[in-house]
Amino acid sequence: MRLLKSFSFRLSAIYALIFLGSVAIVLGTYQLVSITLPRQAVKAALQSEADALASAYRGDPRALVAPLERRAGEDSPRAAFHLLADRSGAVIATNLPSWPAYGGERWVSIEADIYRDGDEDDHEALALDRLLPDGTRLLMGRDVEELDDLQEAISAAALYLIAATLALVTLGAWLMNRAIGRRLAAITASAGQVMDGNLGERVPTSGSGDDFDRLADTLNLMLERVEAGVEAVRNVSDSVAHELRTPVTRLQASLRALAADDRPGSRAVADAVAEADRLQAIFDAVLRISRIESGRHAADFQKIDLAELIGDAVDLYGPAAEEKEIRLAQKVEGELRARGDRDLLIQALANLIDNAIKFAPSGSDVVVRGRRDGDGVRVEVADAGPGMDEGLARRVGERFLRGPAAQAQPGFGLGLSLARAIAELHGGAIELRPRNPGLVAGIRLPTPPGP
Amino acid sequence: MQILLIEDDAAVALYLRRGLEAEGHVVDHRDDGRTGLLQASTERYDLILLDRMLPNVDGLKILQTLRATGDSTPVILLSALGDVDERVKGLRAGGDDYLAKPVAISELAARVDAIGRRGALQEEPTEIRLAGLVVDRLAHRVEIDGKAVDLTAREFRILELLARHAGRVVTRSMLLEQVWNYHFDPQTNVIDQHLSRLRQKLAAVSDRSLIQTVRGAGYTLRPTG
Repeated sequence: MRLLKSFSFRLSAIYALIFLGSVAIVLGTYQLVSITLPRQAVKAALQSEADALASAYRGDPRALVAPLERRAGEDSPRAAFHLLADRSGAVIATNLPSWPAYGGERWVSIEADIYRDGDEDDHEALALDRLLPDGTRLLMGRDVEELDDLQEAISAAALYLIAATLALVTLGAWLMNRAIGRRLAAITASAGQVMDGNLGERVPTSGSGDDFDRLADTLNLMLERVEAGVEAVRNVSDSVAHELRTPVTRLQASLRALAADDRPGSRAVADAVAEADRLQAIFDAVLRISRIESGRHAADFQKIDLAELIGDAVDLYGPAAEEKEIRLAQKVEGELRARGDRDLLIQALANLIDNAIKFAPSGSDVVVRGRRDGDGVRVEVADAGPGMDEGLARRVGERFLRGPAAQAQPGFGLGLSLARAIAELHGGAIELRPRNPGLVAGIRLPTPPGP
Repeated sequence: MQILLIEDDAAVALYLRRGLEAEGHVVDHRDDGRTGLLQASTERYDLILLDRMLPNVDGLKILQTLRATGDSTPVILLSALGDVDERVKGLRAGGDDYLAKPVAISELAARVDAIGRRGALQEEPTEIRLAGLVVDRLAHRVEIDGKAVDLTAREFRILELLARHAGRVVTRSMLLEQVWNYHFDPQTNVIDQHLSRLRQKLAAVSDRSLIQTVRGAGYTLRPTG
């Protein structure tokens, strides 16, 4: 069914049908011109010969013998044959070796003997069989052997022609299907990349300037606009955060100074301090994400033992988990090495663990697993919380994105953005997959080259 | 302490200067790299607060020049928001500490204190004794009024850090950096949970509240408290 839904397959199938149709028309035309029309001419000639004899008939069959034998003796490319029999069936004259029984007035195909250069040949002849008014049977025929041979040759050739055409058409359809399929697949793949958040992806062009290239150019132009728009929004949020940072710091300092005065009513001041701290934390997070995304860290990557990193993160979050009666456990399989920035990597892992503890119900388990995965390593945090639906999971990493489950929790929706930025800086990715119940949030990292 | 502040942003400089002066320090301010370096090499300071990005001479260059000429004055580097590799570069060039801007005065004050104290302690003692609290750094043993306290390795290191800076504020990020050896932002106050566990263990042995929370800053150990 999938094949039938493929546009390029349908197009190739239509192309194949049209091609086969043209071959059929060619064959049919040839049949008409070289077989059907000549046979009709022979029939018309026989008909008029028979009519001429019949109209001259005066009730004496013997009077027909002379014209019939004269006709048989003519030197014509189509040798003439005849059978003349009286009412009782007794043959009066014939030059045929055998003939069919009379079956009404009709066209018959008969075997005739031809003597040429002393050889006797069996030839196919077309004959008109009819009774004259007094019951005398008159059968007149002419040699059509060469038409018969040609008919056989055409039938055999048509078989080969159709078989060869089918093979060529299948090959052509397959090539066309592949060529179109490839171009479409390239566009689909690029769109998938863009959907995964890689806005810098572009549809490849073949350089031939064909329809697909024009489509690709249009799509690329659209992507450029979209990317520029997203970039502009990001720049605005980054520069807002940047510009507001210093005033917020001063605000914090002034509020702290107020709080330190310890006068009654300082509860409102304490709240204000807490809010200023939140504000500061948001700005810090936004700016850190944009710095990491700009990728200026990569120069200082070092060898990192991920098993140790996981151990430290679990140790750090152990008491916080216990506070919520959550069992925080780790499972590390084998040696896990990566290249990167350990402060950033623990930040990413800490954000995942922090989320898991936030959303997991008390009494449940949160498990941090580290294992090798193909040519990389994978660190996963599994919780039994409310999980995340697929649409939301796909948008992971969008700043300030908070799912329905997160509304009841403190946070700014920046933790996963930061984790994603860090994973991508390391050539890896953040992967979320559902678990029943809960969520598995993982960081995939490439393994460093060398021992 | 005598502090030299080299910072080009006038607003930030004023804010830092006021904050430090409120803590009882004496602050000289220079607003560009060249005059800053000149001032640092002609006069003796207890501490230099050095902005990473400066006009004329870059902060890192100033630090390298000072170290190359044998000047070992403690230096705290300040830089626009926590690029981690910037921090590593700064420490490698001979910086004693690194703070990301915007700097909270409480955080800066605690770190300035810690550095001032490091100058006073010529070498770290193997045992810290503070009015009934004994922290044996070789045997990893803690006693309060003669009674032993059973601590995990991590808890011991937290207490040790607080004891070394007794009477002074130790911030949460200082704890994270020196006990766990990581420099990052754990979002939730995971450090607080560790401290509350440590407090519970200490409370089981003594009813003195040794570790106190300093609001908006961190923790401090007061043996007499």
